[in-house]
Amino acid sequence: MKSSYAYYPGCLASLSQKELDTSTRAVAERLGFSLVEIPGFTCCGAGDVHEARPEYYLHLNARILGQAEQLEQDTIMTICNVCTLNLRQANHKLREDAELLARVNKNLAEVGAATYSGGVEVRHLLWEIAEGDGYEKLKQVAERPLTGIRIAPFYGCQILRPSKLLGFEDPDRPQSLERIITACGAEPVDYPSKIKCCGFPIVLAREEVALGELIQPLAEAQAAGADAMVTPCPLCHLSLDAWQGKAAREADIDFDMPILHLAQLVGAAAGLSYDELLFKRHLVRTDRLTDKIYAETTQ
Amino acid sequence: MEVTLQIQRYLPDDDESRLDSFTVDAPETATLLDVLDQIKDEQDGSLTYRKSCRMAVCGSCGMRMDGAAVLACKQPMAPLVEEGRTPVISPMGNLPVIKDLVVDMEPFWGKFRAVQPWLEEDGDPPVKEWRVQQQELDRIFKEALCIQCGCCVSECNSMEADPDFLGPAALAKAARFVGDARDRGRMKRLQMANGAHGVWDCTRCYFCNERCPKGVDPRDAIAKIGGEIYAEGMLSDKGARHAQVFDFSSHATGYLLETALVPYTDPMKALDVKFALKMVRAGKAPNPLRPHRANKLGEVRALSKLVKEQEKESLADKRTGVTVDRENES
Repeated sequence: MKSSYAYYPGCLASLSQKELDTSTRAVAERLGFSLVEIPGFTCCGAGDVHEARPEYYLHLNARILGQAEQLEQDTIMTICNVCTLNLRQANHKLREDAELLARVNKNLAEVGAATYSGGVEVRHLLWEIAEGDGYEKLKQVAERPLTGIRIAPFYGCQILRPSKLLGFEDPDRPQSLERIITACGAEPVDYPSKIKCCGFPIVLAREEVALGELIQPLAEAQAAGADAMVTPCPLCHLSLDAWQGKAAREADIDFDMPILHLAQLVGAAAGLSYDELLFKRHLVRTDRLTDKIYAETTQ
Repeated sequence: MEVTLQIQRYLPDDDESRLDSFTVDAPETATLLDVLDQIKDEQDGSLTYRKSCRMAVCGSCGMRMDGAAVLACKQPMAPLVEEGRTPVISPMGNLPVIKDLVVDMEPFWGKFRAVQPWLEEDGDPPVKEWRVQQQELDRIFKEALCIQCGCCVSECNSMEADPDFLGPAALAKAARFVGDARDRGRMKRLQMANGAHGVWDCTRCYFCNERCPKGVDPRDAIAKIGGEIYAEGMLSDKGARHAQVFDFSSHATGYLLETALVPYTDPMKALDVKFALKMVRAGKAPNPLRPHRANKLGEVRALSKLVKEQEKESLADKRTGVTVDRENES
């Protein structure tokens, strides 16, 4: 079983979405994953640098891949959809074009950064626990089943599309989150927009458009009777959680939907406490859900 | 093989659409379009859809199968039959339905016209021909594959929220001309794409890349335009300024400067104190005076600077289209 990963939390989980990083580390310990820190990693540039400065984006990500290689790790574990696509896309380009890889490495060497030979895979936590050994391990650690709790999976875009770069599962009929929800003892709730966009990338530049996108999954999950939503992406989380109030005003719907990070869902089922999973750092209060989860134990 | 389809039916006078179920005995090699033809020939002549070339070139038969836009002529049915699926066939999204599977393409063509999809020249046209180098053609090879079927537009998440968004097809076409070495309208095109419903409306959902039956990758085309707008220093739009914060912070501290994002992208939003306080209370607002800093920051600073110099050379190329030869043979 694969147990050692170069761990790339990315910016959001290191900063505003710290509860994701904390929960991931706690869950990894339970699952027996050893997370090796990457000293001196930076932002992957998100979709923004990728678009604005594609060459620089490639170098930023090649440097991160090279750093993992320097640590003698063959796999980077990501916990954010955007980081996953950015790193995988850069990896794909560098691996298929020897001339490009040589040019990027020349620049990396010139500034004294780690170069990259092409030997690293990039995998999201979701994929590591949705099948194979990781899934078996998940079933073992999920010792406090979340019985009677209905959870709506929200995938986010860049864990599914473009599938030629991500390719873990059918992008139109994904089942990885459903499998994990079920393994945690909860009941997955189906709704059409679980594979659509949360609007986050443009929430500051085009708030009205982004909210239009955000309302749809929230409304559908609520109408389907979900107690909470779970997402593998901290950007989707921020959108669904922090912007939920604005979406509610815009749609004139009284949303009250706790939003879980994937690691928090697994952590709760693995017996980690309310404090260990930092539920207090959410904007939408999770009490309605966490009271149910922790009903029989003290918080 | 026996194929069953549920087809969304709609007449202009209907209040709402309905689903009709049809089963046909089709050959193993049948496409969705073949099955529709068979239904129309054998069972219901009133079933209405567009088709022409039957070989994924004309772009007429875009429609949705189980909610995902496909070209009917390119969609084999055998794998679905094997899976035991009974797909729902419906018209493309983001366009008004005229009848059954036929949508009104006028909004699509309107956006197409808006990006002026023709060569802008200055001076006299060449007597004989433009000579374009292979590497110049390679730059726009993917964008030039578009057959205008509308599959990308059908599922554009931003267009659902902003129907005026130029969208993936029109912007990919714009990118095809922005990158054309013969074209002299580059700056005008960039200004157009930098407008209210232009490239910065794109939410990067990647549905367009996923659905395009020809490999155009419209999202990547939109990013090409965004990159050129940024390289030209056109930072009037909030989207471009948003990108600038990511660029700047990646080498200033190594991490995204989250607290700079709002005031720099949209200063008016920084006045939303109530929202800001909520974020602070939940611990979601990192201290702007003590930003998180990456180790080995010198490496990325030097890297950004070095790559910037190389970016300048590539921008100069794009500005002039230098390698185009005009051959004035008489």
